[in-house]
Amino acid sequence: MRRRALAALVVLVCDFACNGGLEPVPVCPPGLVGVCGTLTFQGAVPDSTQAVYVVAYHTFPHSPDSLLKFRPSLAQLQKLPLDRDSALYAIPVETGRYEWVVAVWVKQGFTLANADSTLREAGYYRDPADASQPGVVNVPAQGVAARIDFVIDFGQMHPPCRYYTPPCP
Amino acid sequence: MTRLLLLASLTTASIDAAAQQAAMVRGTVRDSATRQPLGDAQVTAASGGRTALTDAGGRYALAGLAAGTVVVRVHRFGYAAAADTLTLAPGDSRVVDFALRANALHVAPVVVTAGKRSQLLDEVVTSVALVSDTEIGRRAVSTVDEAVDKAPGVQLLNGQINIRGSTGYVQGLGARVLLLVDGVPANEGDRGGINWDLLPVDQIEHVEIVKGAGSALYGSAALGGVVNLITREPQAGWHARLRATGGTLANPPHAVWQFRDFAGAREGLDATASYGTDAIRAGVTAGGGHSDGYRQQDRSDHWEVLGTGAWLPSDATQLQVMGSWASNQYQAPLLWCEGGACDDRGQTYQPFMIDRQQAGAFTRSDKGLFAATLEHVASPALSWRARGSWLRTAFTDRRWPMGDFGVANAYGVEARGVVRPAEGGGRVVTVGGEGTVANVTSDIFRDHSQDAFAAYGESEERLGTARATVGARVDYLAVDGGGLSAVVSPRAGVVVPYGPAVWRASAGRGFRAPSLAERFVQTSLGGVTVVPNPGLRPETAWSFELGTAAQMRGTLRTDAALFWTEASDLIEPSVVVKDSAGIQVAQIQFQNLQRARLGGLDLALYASPFTPHLSTSLAYTLLSTRELPHDTIPSRPLAFRPTHLLTLGADYAWQGFVVGADLRVMSRFVRVELSPPTDPQVAPKVLDLRAGYERAGLAARLLVTNALNYLYNLAPQTLAPVRAISVTLTWTY
Repeated sequence: MRRRALAALVVLVCDFACNGGLEPVPVCPPGLVGVCGTLTFQGAVPDSTQAVYVVAYHTFPHSPDSLLKFRPSLAQLQKLPLDRDSALYAIPVETGRYEWVVAVWVKQGFTLANADSTLREAGYYRDPADASQPGVVNVPAQGVAARIDFVIDFGQMHPPCRYYTPPCP
Repeated sequence: MTRLLLLASLTTASIDAAAQQAAMVRGTVRDSATRQPLGDAQVTAASGGRTALTDAGGRYALAGLAAGTVVVRVHRFGYAAAADTLTLAPGDSRVVDFALRANALHVAPVVVTAGKRSQLLDEVVTSVALVSDTEIGRRAVSTVDEAVDKAPGVQLLNGQINIRGSTGYVQGLGARVLLLVDGVPANEGDRGGINWDLLPVDQIEHVEIVKGAGSALYGSAALGGVVNLITREPQAGWHARLRATGGTLANPPHAVWQFRDFAGAREGLDATASYGTDAIRAGVTAGGGHSDGYRQQDRSDHWEVLGTGAWLPSDATQLQVMGSWASNQYQAPLLWCEGGACDDRGQTYQPFMIDRQQAGAFTRSDKGLFAATLEHVASPALSWRARGSWLRTAFTDRRWPMGDFGVANAYGVEARGVVRPAEGGGRVVTVGGEGTVANVTSDIFRDHSQDAFAAYGESEERLGTARATVGARVDYLAVDGGGLSAVVSPRAGVVVPYGPAVWRASAGRGFRAPSLAERFVQTSLGGVTVVPNPGLRPETAWSFELGTAAQMRGTLRTDAALFWTEASDLIEPSVVVKDSAGIQVAQIQFQNLQRARLGGLDLALYASPFTPHLSTSLAYTLLSTRELPHDTIPSRPLAFRPTHLLTLGADYAWQGFVVGADLRVMSRFVRVELSPPTDPQVAPKVLDLRAGYERAGLAARLLVTNALNYLYNLAPQTLAPVRAISVTLTWTY
């Protein structure tokens, strides 16, 4: 009886000793070359949601052709978790200048042919000096552009053609 | 018909015969040491289930016992049970006296808070937790809140006390627990909060924690419970006491969190001197302390003075006065730094550092309590008590971009009488009246006042072995001299001894008037404007409890209670969106939520297993809370309430040496509010270790709090205390 009680006590203390409470949380994963930050979610996630991704454009996409010239590659895209109020994100992209870091909402049934009706811009990184404009992000050589934080608002999503030249009606 | 008559006559004949053959046992129950008779002891004969309760003279009588072998058992709280086996002949009348031995594990304490009069703990209709001076000394705690933090069902959240989940966390505003100092209300006049540093912890004789709604006797703020700090009374002759504490605070366990290149320290010194004769007694305590704090910008200094005095012109009359003043000057660490707002070293948050904008924040907080109480025992049937008190609190905040200040006063008077209509009888009636005038002058609360006048009465009646209590209080409230609004708070309860256990059940209504701060606060919190709401209504709650306490086999004592609270109009900070010139602006405002429900189980076990040198305890609270749906808000858990709260304790004492430990485990909050979405939530697990040696007035104690340096936060963006190692030396003359 005493041995069992002692064993239970040892197990309990070990559980405590091994469980560490608060831990450092780096803004960006160690070794990342790319862009990272915090996303804050607003509005209700539509039932028709297939996924939401964060992508970056070297040049602002003003045409359907340039819409697919994003980073990272399709194989490296990671779905964002949508079951919380906010989430950290990190996308591996090469060193360089990016004119648009944007969250893309993808509707169920997406194909390249119906991109205008099944893709939406759900939020993008904004210029700290002028929040109405996209913010330019520079990824340093072998480094990260950290704290590229922005809001994803599921109640304020826009089709890609809004940004084309000329924009859709 | 003839058969029925025959059956009836046979039955009557057999009853008569049984009565003629029945035996009787009577006698007296006394304390084995003092030989004093013991009232309220339960005497049971196993045969036939006969039970009797001893009267004030310790006398009992069990009649109608069947002839043969009978086991007579005696139970009384605070004493080890006793039994005797008798062989009774038909018609016997035997005298059997019992001498009960006081049980070291549980001597029935006398409490004064639950009924506003002296009562044995097992005669109280609600749950009461006690923290004795032995426990306070053994834990070598530095502050009063640390002393009550480990009590069953109690949880402190950044200094804000929760009894069975009553308060949650409201940034120091609106405590739903009433603090008493020797029976004198001591909640702040403006914010309604509790200043735990009002008294030197070394001068606390014991703490009584009454759980559940106590407004039937105490009025506002006693919605979730009452905490009564009972101070030490000066004794006859010269006495002195010196308490010195020194210790260190752990540095952050990760290099990326380091914020200073030295180990933080804290130290304190308290000195007490008292002198007394049979007629007059007085004592004074003075002391202070310093702490470097465990976070960036967390230094604090504390100074305190406490004076107590008593004049006893006769055996029946006593005048007690006390005055306490404490001053804290502390840097305000406020909220920890989110990434980007300080030298975050690539981290999303820095729990030991503060936002750059808070650099230089500083608070001075002064508080004083002065009270005088006159007690007189007019006769065995009547005693009365009158008191007057003044609580003054003042604070000055210096922080970016501007500072705040506030000065509040709370004046109180009370008169009450306790009537026992028949000497030795079972009825006790308590009646009284109370008045409170509170005012505040502040830049964030403005100039306002709140008055309350009340009358109350409660009667306890003995019904066989049970005790029933019924009472009510009516409070009249007025804000800024406006019209009076009335709140009625009834309470009823019953205590029934059964075997080795005492069962209790109670139902009562509690309320809390909105504090002046909640009504009128106008400030900014983290960039969000906080707007006043003068139309706040008092929050009310019905509390129900079914509990039992039992002493088993002399080494195990249990206390368990199921509790249920239905709360209405609870006041909580809410984020409201207001349209300001076409722009949607988020603001914080205190609002009455429609309804909330809290229920759960409160369990405490005390045991001395294996050896009398070892004492162990377990306290567990299971809590379920729900804010009921209203407006657009769906049903959801109340914020800052844990579902599970477990505290384990053990102490081993041997010839003046004692070693012990406390373990507190809490599940993570089901819901938090006013916290940034990136705020981490972990389940607190805190281990405290202690060791001590005591001999001939000298005591040395080593205390390691949060020994595993488990880092966690309870309040948003606020790191809970890290590991601290301290040594306390106490000399008593």
